Amino acid sequence: MAGEAVLPRRPTRLVRSNGSGVGRLATARLIATPIVVIGLLALLGRTLSINNVLTLEEVLGLAVFAMATNLLLGYGGLVSFGQAAFYGSGAYMIGLSWLHHWMSFWPAFVLTPVVGAVAALLMGLIALRTRRLYFALLTLAFSELFYQLVNVRYSFTKGATGIFAVSMIPASLAQPRTGYYFTLGVASAAILLLWKITVSPFGLVLRATRENRERAEAIGVNVFRHQLLAFVISGAFCSLAGALFAVYGQSTYPDLLNWTTSGQPLFMAVIGGMFVFLGPALGALLYQVGFQYITQHTHDWQLVLGGALLLVVLFRPDGLSGLVLSNPFASLRRRIRGADSGVTEAEATSILEQVPATVTPRSVDQREQMEVPPDG
Amino acid sequence: MHGAVVDIVSTLSTAGYLFIVSAGLTLIFGAVRVINLAHGSFYMYGAFLLTTIVGLSSGTKFWLAVPVCALALAALGALVEVTVMRRLYEREHLTQLLATFGLLLIFGDLALHLWGTGARTVAPPVPFHGRFTLAGATVPAYDIVVIGVAALVGAGLWLLLTRSMFGWRIRAAVSDPETLACAGVNTKLLMTMVFALGAGLAGLAGAIVSPQSSVAPGIDQAIIVSAFIVTVIGGLGSILGSALGALLIGLAETLGTRYVPDWASTVIYVVLIVVLVARPSGLLGAPER
Repeated sequence: MAGEAVLPRRPTRLVRSNGSGVGRLATARLIATPIVVIGLLALLGRTLSINNVLTLEEVLGLAVFAMATNLLLGYGGLVSFGQAAFYGSGAYMIGLSWLHHWMSFWPAFVLTPVVGAVAALLMGLIALRTRRLYFALLTLAFSELFYQLVNVRYSFTKGATGIFAVSMIPASLAQPRTGYYFTLGVASAAILLLWKITVSPFGLVLRATRENRERAEAIGVNVFRHQLLAFVISGAFCSLAGALFAVYGQSTYPDLLNWTTSGQPLFMAVIGGMFVFLGPALGALLYQVGFQYITQHTHDWQLVLGGALLLVVLFRPDGLSGLVLSNPFASLRRRIRGADSGVTEAEATSILEQVPATVTPRSVDQREQMEVPPDG
Repeated sequence: MHGAVVDIVSTLSTAGYLFIVSAGLTLIFGAVRVINLAHGSFYMYGAFLLTTIVGLSSGTKFWLAVPVCALALAALGALVEVTVMRRLYEREHLTQLLATFGLLLIFGDLALHLWGTGARTVAPPVPFHGRFTLAGATVPAYDIVVIGVAALVGAGLWLLLTRSMFGWRIRAAVSDPETLACAGVNTKLLMTMVFALGAGLAGLAGAIVSPQSSVAPGIDQAIIVSAFIVTVIGGLGSILGSALGALLIGLAETLGTRYVPDWASTVIYVVLIVVLVARPSGLLGAPER
C-alpha cells in the first residue's frame, strides 16, 4: 500500500532551504498553524458546555494515542496491535501510584513516558526480530500478556474490578475545565514533539525504511535500530496518552490493555488518514464524536465502527485526509505552484543521502565499499 | 501416575480444539496469505449455533448439530470470501488485518442481536457426560470426544492435502497460483473452497468445544489470540506446525494450571516469546519476505 500511497509531504527543512517565497510562506504557515489551532482549542474550553469540554478532553488524549501509534503505522510501516499495553501502563502508573502510595500524582505523571519507553524497549527487542504479520501477531500477544498479568494479580492491581477513584488525580484537575486545559497543554506539547520527530532526519530515515527496507539497508541504515527507537518513542507517547486517560476518567481497568483497545488508534489513524501528520487526530475526533452520537441512538456502535473500518480500508486506504488532499482544488493548486511542491520518488529516496548524521560509521564504510548501489 | 494420565488427557483435549481452530486459520493463510481476525467469529458462531440447535430439540440431536454447524459456517465463510476477502488478496497486510478486524467487530455486534448477551451452556451428549476411569485415573469423558474429533480432523486434512486432487491444487496454488490458473484450474473457486473449509473448521471447533466451556460474547476475541499463538509458534501456513503448537500450548496450560495456578493464564505467552526468540518464523514456518 505504501507504494501507491500519497508520498509524504515535503519536509520542512528542505522547503525552508530553497529560500524562495513559497518556502517562507510554508514556514510562516508551519508556525501559525499550531498557534491558531491551540488558541482555538483554548477558546473552546471557555465557550463550550461542560459535556462538550469533556468530550474534547478525551479527544485530545486519544489524538496523542493515535498519533503515537501512527509514528509506527504511517511513518514506519509497522502494524502494532500492542499499543494498548503502553496505553494501559500509563493509566496504571497513575492508578497504582495512588493505590499503593508510591508517590503523588505529579512525579507519577512525569514518569509515565519513561514506564512506556522501558516497556516498549523490552517488547520491541523481541517483537522487532520478526517481520510484518509475525510482528503484528507478536505485539498482539504481548498486549494480551499485559492484560492477563493485570487481570490475575488481584492484590496488586485490583484485577478485573479496576481502580476507580476521583482522588487518584489532584482535586484541581478533577475540575472539568482545569482538567481540559491541563490535557490541552500536555497534548499540544506531545503533538509538537511528535511533529518535530517526524520531520527530523530520524523521521525521514524511518519513512525510507517503510518505503523500501532493503534499499535503506543497502545504503547503510540500521533498520532494526531505527524501528526500535520508533517503537520506544511511540510507547512513551502512548503511555502518556494513557496517563491523560487517567486524568480524564479518574479510573483504570484491564480493558485498557486488551488487544481490541490497540485496534482503536489504528482505526483512528486509518479513518483520519495515516499519511498526513494530523490525520490520526482528525480520526480521534471523528471516533469520539461518532461514538457519543451513535451510542445515544443505538447500541450498535461496534457494527458502525466495523463497517466504517471495512469500507475505508477497502475503498479509501489513505483515509479522510487523503480524500481532502486529492480533491480537484489540491491538484489545481499543485499545478499553479509547479513542480516545486511535489516530491517525486527519486527525490524521496535521495532524502536518504542527505542525512549521514544518523548513519553509523560502520555502515558508512559498507556504503563506500559498495561500488554500484543495488537497484530496488 | 494417575496425575500423569489426567495431565495427558487434559493436554490432548486442550490441544485438540486449539488444533481444529488453528488448522483452519493456517490453512487459509497458507493458500491466500491472509490472516483472518474474523476467524474467531466463525468459532463463536459455531458454538452459538450449536446451543441454538440443541436447545430446539432434546439433547440427542447433538451429533446431528455438530456437522450442521460446520457446514453452516463453511457457507458463511464462502459468503465472506466472495464479498470481502477476495478484494484483500493483493493488498498490504495492514489492510487485511484492519478489514478482518472490522469483520470481527461486525460479527460480534450481530451475535449480540442473534444470541443476546448471556452465557449459554450445553450438556455433553449422553454416552460422554460425567467422568470415566482410565488407567486408574478419573478423567472427563467428553475430553475423549474432543481428542477423537481432533485426530479425525488431522488425519482428514493430511489425506485431503496429500492424496486428493483438491489438496494438490491447494498446494500448487500456494507455490504458484498463476501457473495453476494457466493450467485451466478455477483458482478463484479454489480459494473460496479453501476459505470455506477453514471457516468450517472454526465452526466445528466452536461446536465441539461448547459442552466443555460456557458460550458467551467475547469468546471470539479470546480464541483468536489463542489461535494466533498456536499458529505463530508452529509457523504460519504449516498444518503440522499448528498441531505441534497446539500440543505445546495444551501442555503449557495443563502444567501451568497444576503447578503455578496463579500464573496459568500467562504461561502460554512466555512459551510464545521463548519460541519466537529462538525461531522468529515459528517452529516449522518459512521466513517471511
